[in-house]
Amino acid sequence: MAEAHSVYIHAAAALGPCLDTTDAERVVLTADPPPAELRELTRKVVGAPLRQASHLIELAAIASQLCLKRLPWPAPENTAVYIGTGLAEVRKTHAVFYQVMPPGPGMASPFDFINAANNMAAFYVAKLGNFRARNLTVTQEEFSFERALQLALADLRAGGFHQALVGGVDENSQPRANHLRRFPLRDNQVMGEGSGWLYLGTRREQARGELLGLRQGARGADAASLLADAVRVWRQGGESVVLLPGFRLEPDETVRLAGALPGLETRDYLAHCGCFHTAAAFGLGTLLDHAAPQPTLVLHLNRDSAGALMLVALRLFASTDSASARVTP
Amino acid sequence: MPAIGIRGLGLVTSYGIGVERAVQGLRAGRPGITPLTLFSLPFQDQIQVNQFDHAPFPPGEAGAPAILEAAVREALAAAGLDAPDLRAAALVVGTGGYLFAAEAEYRRHYVAGQLLPTPALRAPGCFAQRIARDLGIDGPVFTLSTACSSSANALLVAADLIRRGEVTRALVLGIEGLSAVALTGFQSLMLLDPQGCRPFDAQRRGMQLGEAAGAVLLEAEDDATRTGDYLLGGANLCDIHHITSATPDGSAMRAVMEMALADAGLRPEEIGVIKAHGTGSLDNDAAEAAAMRTLFGDALPVFTGIKRYLGHTLGACGVVELAAFLGCLRAGFIPPTAGFSAADPALRVTPLTAFRPATQGAVMLNTFGFGGNYASLVITHG
Repeated sequence: MAEAHSVYIHAAAALGPCLDTTDAERVVLTADPPPAELRELTRKVVGAPLRQASHLIELAAIASQLCLKRLPWPAPENTAVYIGTGLAEVRKTHAVFYQVMPPGPGMASPFDFINAANNMAAFYVAKLGNFRARNLTVTQEEFSFERALQLALADLRAGGFHQALVGGVDENSQPRANHLRRFPLRDNQVMGEGSGWLYLGTRREQARGELLGLRQGARGADAASLLADAVRVWRQGGESVVLLPGFRLEPDETVRLAGALPGLETRDYLAHCGCFHTAAAFGLGTLLDHAAPQPTLVLHLNRDSAGALMLVALRLFASTDSASARVTP
Repeated sequence: MPAIGIRGLGLVTSYGIGVERAVQGLRAGRPGITPLTLFSLPFQDQIQVNQFDHAPFPPGEAGAPAILEAAVREALAAAGLDAPDLRAAALVVGTGGYLFAAEAEYRRHYVAGQLLPTPALRAPGCFAQRIARDLGIDGPVFTLSTACSSSANALLVAADLIRRGEVTRALVLGIEGLSAVALTGFQSLMLLDPQGCRPFDAQRRGMQLGEAAGAVLLEAEDDATRTGDYLLGGANLCDIHHITSATPDGSAMRAVMEMALADAGLRPEEIGVIKAHGTGSLDNDAAEAAAMRTLFGDALPVFTGIKRYLGHTLGACGVVELAAFLGCLRAGFIPPTAGFSAADPALRVTPLTAFRPATQGAVMLNTFGFGGNYASLVITHG
């Protein structure tokens, strides 16, 4: 069997619920964000309006295009696309549901019906990037993005593809009480939305980081053990370690985890994006918002509704040229 | 690299519960078209559907996991396995979503005079999670949702997991239910044929929707010299021509078939039969015909479409049609293209019109979905 390829991170981008796309624009959320209007930002980033696109598609299109613009070279046509989404099209699905269901029955609007398909965001991402390769939409609740990332990593390591655009996207809906019927949150958790993307490849040149792997912990597994094991396996020398806690970790659990591993820094990315199934994509997508002064091992950890754990490990390379790390839309 | 054995099949279709019931229907050349009784539509008399008997299953959203579990039981029994044997297996589900389950739940309350405050629209991955829990599966769980290619992609993902040694066993499921949203949506797009699906026919006008669930159990095996059926390979790609229609010259469909052949390590002339996607829609059949014609040339093998029998089961069709078609091959026959009566001169190809004995060898199975999401699988039957 051929030796597995290493997989590097060449670009990243994240769009938050307040139209934020750079570190300077991030907003600390203290309540559920108001509905975001994305038409103008879509026009600005994509270069043209996506007149028939849904809100979810716009979220994915904007952030994926930003990620591609931050690449040092044009992304080739054979870039695979993997997208994770927990709830997929919430608003369009609601729209067609009420168009059709009793006390109707009526007819579904053709555009709403088409947009209600779960893979339309992946189509737009591929269309805008001119990508004619593998294109998979993965949906697995809290691990939707992680599962998409896992497939991409495995394909890249196996040499099936040499570059992949991997993202996560989810939208919220109003009112909160209804949204939370399908996406339970604690009262003090902000309901968020957004999209985050990583451009991965097997070439080392100009990489900003390396995707190291994903580890799953079975139902009831001990988070501290999983984390400690990841640090033991992946930490190199005295590099700093950053934990990005996912939204299903209890706050006191995060504190305990940080306390158990001396020197571990935690970064609360959820303060900027709120909670949604694929918030991990946002968290990882913001990592390149600013230059890493030194090599950093980054671990994202979350739990699903069944109690299983999922850990993502990556390394940020020290930026030798801070100018290269500056990001612009 | 291990061979990937296809070791268990399970089906719930409009023919009933079980692969054998579907095979009997196809052997009889009898389309599984049924009345639509789940709900009423303004154009009820203008469409044909394949609805299965819901009596054995609980009403509302609880029906979906029960239907899947019926297919799983059959697949496990066929493979000589029990649920505990799946503990370390992967579970990979392909579905367009669970709108049908949300509709069923909404109707259940509506009929009882209760209006739900919001539709029971679950996360599309929720049923995979539930099946995994019920079966005690601790391996990786994925739900692929790529429109009509969903469960074909689920098979590809499962095959990759086995080939890379991440698991030795994978349970792949596909499910789709009839829904008013899907039927009215496709009717709005003028993609339903009032006379039912007529794949590659000169008079074809569109699709005939169906509902079904399927299960396929894949296992790593040491080598492919043993007799039986194997998944040799496959491919997926995105045709970015248009959100709902294929590149007209079929080049994107041809590309995914070529990639599938390359992945399987086969040449075009080694394919003995093609199970076409064959939706009966004007553009899709034209593009698929062009793709087959240009890829295989004079060596175009027999090809057939089976959506007149089973209906187009959308996200489930990759798993459902593999199980039904392989069931037919195991029973010794290739089913002809029900619904086809007159060749379309523009297509320059003619599907299989009469029963033919099944032979050992390689089979291609095509699946093409909205959003340009295409998947092609290659299996060997023997």
